Amino acid sequence: MNLWLIFWALMLVVAGGSFAAITVVVTVRGFRDLRQWFASLSRQNADP
Amino acid sequence: MNFTPVDWAIVVGYLVTTLAVGLVGKRYVGTVSHYLVAGRELGLYVGIATLAATEIGTITFMYNGEFGYRYGFAAFAPALISGLVMIFVGRTGFVIRRFRDLRLMTVPEYFEVRYSRGLRIVTGVLVALGGILNMGVFLRIEGEFLTVVSGIDSRYLVGVMTAILLLELVYTVLGGMVSVVITDFLQYVLLSVATILVSIYAVTFAGWGHIVSKVTTVMGHAGFSPIANPKFGITFLVWQTLLWLSLHTCWQTTAMRVFSTKSAETSKRVMTWTGFIFLGRGMLPMLWGIAALTLYGTGALHRGVPQPVVAGQTLAPIDAMPAMLAHILGPGVRGVVVAGMLAATMSVNSSYLLGWSAVISQDVILPVRQALGRGALGARAQIFVNRIANLFVSLFLMFWGLYYTPPGAVYLYLNITGTIFLAGAFVCVVGGLYWRRSNVLGGYVAMLAGAAGAIVPFFILKWNENVTGFAAFGLALCGLVVGSLLGRGER
Repeated sequence: MNLWLIFWALMLVVAGGSFAAITVVVTVRGFRDLRQWFASLSRQNADP
Repeated sequence: MNFTPVDWAIVVGYLVTTLAVGLVGKRYVGTVSHYLVAGRELGLYVGIATLAATEIGTITFMYNGEFGYRYGFAAFAPALISGLVMIFVGRTGFVIRRFRDLRLMTVPEYFEVRYSRGLRIVTGVLVALGGILNMGVFLRIEGEFLTVVSGIDSRYLVGVMTAILLLELVYTVLGGMVSVVITDFLQYVLLSVATILVSIYAVTFAGWGHIVSKVTTVMGHAGFSPIANPKFGITFLVWQTLLWLSLHTCWQTTAMRVFSTKSAETSKRVMTWTGFIFLGRGMLPMLWGIAALTLYGTGALHRGVPQPVVAGQTLAPIDAMPAMLAHILGPGVRGVVVAGMLAATMSVNSSYLLGWSAVISQDVILPVRQALGRGALGARAQIFVNRIANLFVSLFLMFWGLYYTPPGAVYLYLNITGTIFLAGAFVCVVGGLYWRRSNVLGGYVAMLAGAAGAIVPFFILKWNENVTGFAAFGLALCGLVVGSLLGRGER
């Protein structure tokens, strides 16, 4: 039981830590992605 | 009523912003490809945000919370499998790389490319059936969450459900995938903040030591080991691995994100990083459920677990987690969390509405028209058909959500309804991509055997979920192999 508990506690730290870290990175860099995507869609709509 | 004016202001502010942002998307929609797959131009970070937001809803928090409440730390096993399998798919490009290269818009479309138009239609019907039944329980459970946390009278559940559906329907119908992706980004940020906040609150209030002690007392070794737990065992773990492998490759809403990325390489990176998010997507709400068990699991034993008792009232295990949030979150924080959960709800529902209606329009209505000798539809007409399908799916969801209550754990109900088409679709897709001898007859037998293997044992014979899931995948595989060997060679 102790081994399972240690394993799940470790997994929980990895899961929580990566969830928080990826959220920060995606929030900051996602805006640039969105701008590029809008520009691309506008170009596609402008092309006949 | 648990909500203060500050909480209401936060929630209303979020709803107004989402609607406004969602409506912006309409101006960018010029073609069917914009409407369904965002013009195939999504970059890495927006790709991660939209994929994560699509697959993290209030329903996800609710069923994972319930799973944690019922099975303790052992419940973490499927969450771990879901994340690891996604990372594997992302790293190897298994199925998704070839899917992206084929420039598809829906999963059943592949069946016409590889097998036949008839099989595409059959698959489309099964995908839509399984997908809509799967989504059918979302609204009720999400409505329950919101009424429990906010303290709105449960008599207004139908009104809350209808309001949620109408809001997301407006921007999904008008702006399609473009609106869905823009709102997904906003919703991803908000739901992530809410997830982190709730996790901190839950562990702080329940206490790690008390959590471990409660699981030990109530469940013993079975509360930690998924192998020792009688509900799980090796068959469950193998079924979950197969199920998540099929979900991450053939689930329509996930696959639409793969189809929407700039390139196959981008889709692989999106999948890999979202795999890490999936670890938290499962484990964190399961932890909230275990915290709820620790704080409120004092009632009579039901299936080996004490029922939650909150303020003298006995609740269902699935309602323990939202009841805990209503008690432990302070004013302001509660508003942020509910706004985050609403964000999660709307991002999932809008994507699912779009996903299943896309299958109905692109893989059932349009191919049937072609088979009847009608001419192809133009872009505007196709978008119109998609919008009508959206409305149809929404109406069905309202009625199914009102009148159907899933038996047992919701997580397992969702798994089984997904398996109706996933078993056959996954086997056919993998066979079609990697086995030259798979053919049309094998495809039909696999799809029908997979669906029968999920529906008959679960809904009629009342077998338990992991045996049912195992049977469905096994029958689908046998069906593809036997049918293909008996059929007329490769196509």
